[in-house]
Amino acid sequence: MIEETKLIQSKKIFLSLCILGFVIVPALYLGGILSIGDINMLGRFMTFAIVALGLDLLWGYVGILSLCQFTFFCLGAYAMGIHLAHHGGPEGIIDAEGWKIPACLFVVYPYEVGESSGDALVPGFWKPFWNLPFTIILGLLIPAVASFILGYFVFRSRVRGVYFAILTQAIAVAAWLVFCRNDVKLCGTNGLTRFDIIAPQGSFLTLNPVDATEDWIESNKDNLDLDLNKDGWVDQLDYAVADVGYSLSSPEVQLSLYIITLFCLFGSYLLCRWIVNSRLGRVLVAIRDDEPTLNFFGYKPYTFKIFAFCIAAVLAGLAGLLYVPQMKIVTPSNMEAVRSVLVVVWVAVGGRGSLGGAILGALSVNLIYNFLTSEHDYGFFTWSPDYWPIFLGIMFVLVVLFLPNGLIELVDKLFKKKTKTTGQSEKPTP
Amino acid sequence: MQNLASGDDKIIRKAIQELAMSGDSRLESFFEFYRQGSIYNWPTESGEVRIVLNQETTMDDDFNEFAPLLHPLTQEPLIISGKQAKPDLMELEDISPGRKLRSLVNSSKFLLRLFSPDFETRLSGVKKCGDPPFLPDAISILEEFARDSDQNEKIQFTAQESIELMILGSAVDSKKTPLDRITALQKLGELNSLRALARIDSFETEITKAITKTDLPTAKLKEYKSSIASVRKKIEGHKNKVEWSGNLFRGLSYGSVLILMALGLAITFGLMGVINMAHGELMMIGAYTTYEVQLMFGHSPGNPVDHYYLFALPMAFCTAAIVGLIIEALVVRHLYNRPLESLLATWGVGLFLIQVIRIIYGDNIGVNSPTWARGGFEISQDIVLPYARLYLLGLSILCVCFIYFVIRKTRFGMLIRATMQNRDMANSLGVKTRKIDRLTFALGSGIAGVAGYGWTIIGGVTPDMGQTNFIVDSFLVVVTGGVGELIGVIYSGLGIGMITKLIEPMDIGGFTIGPVWGKVILLALIVAFIQYRPSGLFAPKGRLADKK
Repeated sequence: MIEETKLIQSKKIFLSLCILGFVIVPALYLGGILSIGDINMLGRFMTFAIVALGLDLLWGYVGILSLCQFTFFCLGAYAMGIHLAHHGGPEGIIDAEGWKIPACLFVVYPYEVGESSGDALVPGFWKPFWNLPFTIILGLLIPAVASFILGYFVFRSRVRGVYFAILTQAIAVAAWLVFCRNDVKLCGTNGLTRFDIIAPQGSFLTLNPVDATEDWIESNKDNLDLDLNKDGWVDQLDYAVADVGYSLSSPEVQLSLYIITLFCLFGSYLLCRWIVNSRLGRVLVAIRDDEPTLNFFGYKPYTFKIFAFCIAAVLAGLAGLLYVPQMKIVTPSNMEAVRSVLVVVWVAVGGRGSLGGAILGALSVNLIYNFLTSEHDYGFFTWSPDYWPIFLGIMFVLVVLFLPNGLIELVDKLFKKKTKTTGQSEKPTP
Repeated sequence: MQNLASGDDKIIRKAIQELAMSGDSRLESFFEFYRQGSIYNWPTESGEVRIVLNQETTMDDDFNEFAPLLHPLTQEPLIISGKQAKPDLMELEDISPGRKLRSLVNSSKFLLRLFSPDFETRLSGVKKCGDPPFLPDAISILEEFARDSDQNEKIQFTAQESIELMILGSAVDSKKTPLDRITALQKLGELNSLRALARIDSFETEITKAITKTDLPTAKLKEYKSSIASVRKKIEGHKNKVEWSGNLFRGLSYGSVLILMALGLAITFGLMGVINMAHGELMMIGAYTTYEVQLMFGHSPGNPVDHYYLFALPMAFCTAAIVGLIIEALVVRHLYNRPLESLLATWGVGLFLIQVIRIIYGDNIGVNSPTWARGGFEISQDIVLPYARLYLLGLSILCVCFIYFVIRKTRFGMLIRATMQNRDMANSLGVKTRKIDRLTFALGSGIAGVAGYGWTIIGGVTPDMGQTNFIVDSFLVVVTGGVGELIGVIYSGLGIGMITKLIEPMDIGGFTIGPVWGKVILLALIVAFIQYRPSGLFAPKGRLADKK
């Protein structure tokens, strides 16, 4: 049960973290202490924290260990990737229907036998992603639907615990293999890349590039400043080189993406916190602690499980949507089974069954990762990036064995000295 | 050989043919060098022809190029007055063959093989004669082979096949009439020749063209076409049979590796409630042990020491078992009956092991399988069971029998079963359950090591082989098999292996399923299966069922 004092206390922490994220970090950047690269990195790590939040809700509170969270992450990421590729740089060719085939797709386009480069068409399933609001909706909806279908079949047949974990890992591997293939038209192992701009006007108001061009020409007809090739009128040639939208590489855009990610992170946290504190949350914890008894009381645990699984998947999808504009590339290597297990590492290190712990874990492990995957020379000993997996493996074993409640337990102990609350309340049982 | 330097095409041609007929196996590499233009004439002082081999030149400080010479047949340094001859490059006369001669030289290489005393070489020579460009000289030799009962049956058969293929493929303007060629095709059909299948299409268009030119009645053409079609159907039927049996066998051997992997997993999971994600890495350790043993014995393709492979079996088992014991002592023993935690911790162990091995050995190593594992056993025409896979199958059967014997027939096995059924009761009756746990874990790990050892004979060895290829699949085997009985593992291992290898080559409307979609389909099947049987084929019964 969550005590009142604990909530107040966490509100204090929450506020101070808000100030840290929204004020201090941007201030440090503007003051020149942090580079834009650091801001970008923090933004990316925070998207990972959103994934970790979802998994913590699922694993820490409902006791379901999913090893395919990064598959859902990639579903969101690919949605955003396709969107950005549509609006990508000047490379690529225009196909017969007036859609531009982005360079990343064009170079690996899987032609049928007898097709030539002129026959390439933008795949039909790429088209809904032209529009940014649609992309965001789809980026959340696709993981939700995928997780619902999977959850429905798996939870209804009472697949539990380890069996579920292994099944999801198998799904992660299969999905990775599928996304690596060229003929699913998602650019194979190269991935989607060469992104250029985000949020041009056309991506809000129109559904395809033809309309977007026409709208732009219509509204800028009389503005001869935009006649960039000086041929006397504003036409699609100008549109192709005109500076519409916001360049992904500009520092302002990156800072805004950081702020947006931070908003989403806090939003996700509040959503999870709200779920956990509601009556629904009690049922979820009851599933974790004693599912047969809950079943006996007349609940249908599988509906709650599906719900939690979908929420986790949607959060992962959201993280994917936010990750891609900051990383500027998305490849299937994000879907490897190892990545999804890494999410579990973050949650375990931070503290399973504590939402703050998940965020703490994701950020700290990634910062350590960032530090340890570069070479450090200490004179008597040179740290090589090759040692990182060894470090990770050992750290993981130690955390599982000796720190089952994660780093957050250490943090809690520090605060406990001051306020004397009645101990860790959300202790997960194995 | 001296005639090669004569400069006259006709003489050279004759010389090459004579050389080819001699059947000297050293000539094969000589022909290769000759074709590449590494053979030179280095005239002696008295002006006689001296054929030498030179592969690379050296340069001195004054930029004079010197050519260290080799003997053309043995490729050893050519020793003249105590040291390797190394004349100025200018002294050598280039006698490299022209374009036409080059193709002759190339085909002569195969002609040469016909006279080789070695069976495999001779067979490959006979086979090659049936592929274009044809050697008209070969046909008489082949006919002799086909008739000669001293020759191996296989060679007789292949010789016959090659003759018919030569007739079939002879150019439109040759002496053979279309009728001859059709007869040859029909004979090939009777032989169930797979090699003819690739030629039928081009043959059909060719013959149609030839016949329309000579304005034979169209009825004749129809007759030809129908006979071509029937031959095609017959051979394709045979090909299907061969492919199916090949897939079935591949499924069997893949399934046997899965069983080896899953056995260990099922034992540790069933007994201790521990999921060992490092199981794949134990397999990898078995494979690397095999590699180390190979190095110890100095086995290599050039210098085969075949018995190393038999010695590697107990070594792989022991090494993996010892590593398993260490993992048990350091990590797993704290995690009994906490499957999720054990899954995570052992995953960390696996990561650690992979990286350690990668730092020591690099990314890829080569385990050379013993020479007896090459080739295969032909049970009927074209259906070849590779010895390597047969060995793997035998190994797997042996291990299953071993495990069965240990668990069912020995005292140790009885104690394992007692602990599995009721740990507390066994403990109070004086069974040292801790010791049983440890030994069982070691046993499971050892079997994984044997799986890795077996895998080296058919597959590649990389540090992450366990994680990428096997761990997920073998867990799926355990999931579908259920942990109640080990027999479930055997059924589901074979089933999954078979299904994988049977759906992979399937073709649906021009779309080949392939390994990736095969895996997706397999997963869908498994999810569908657990709808119907949530705890696998052989579910634990009674009170045990609720525990996991």
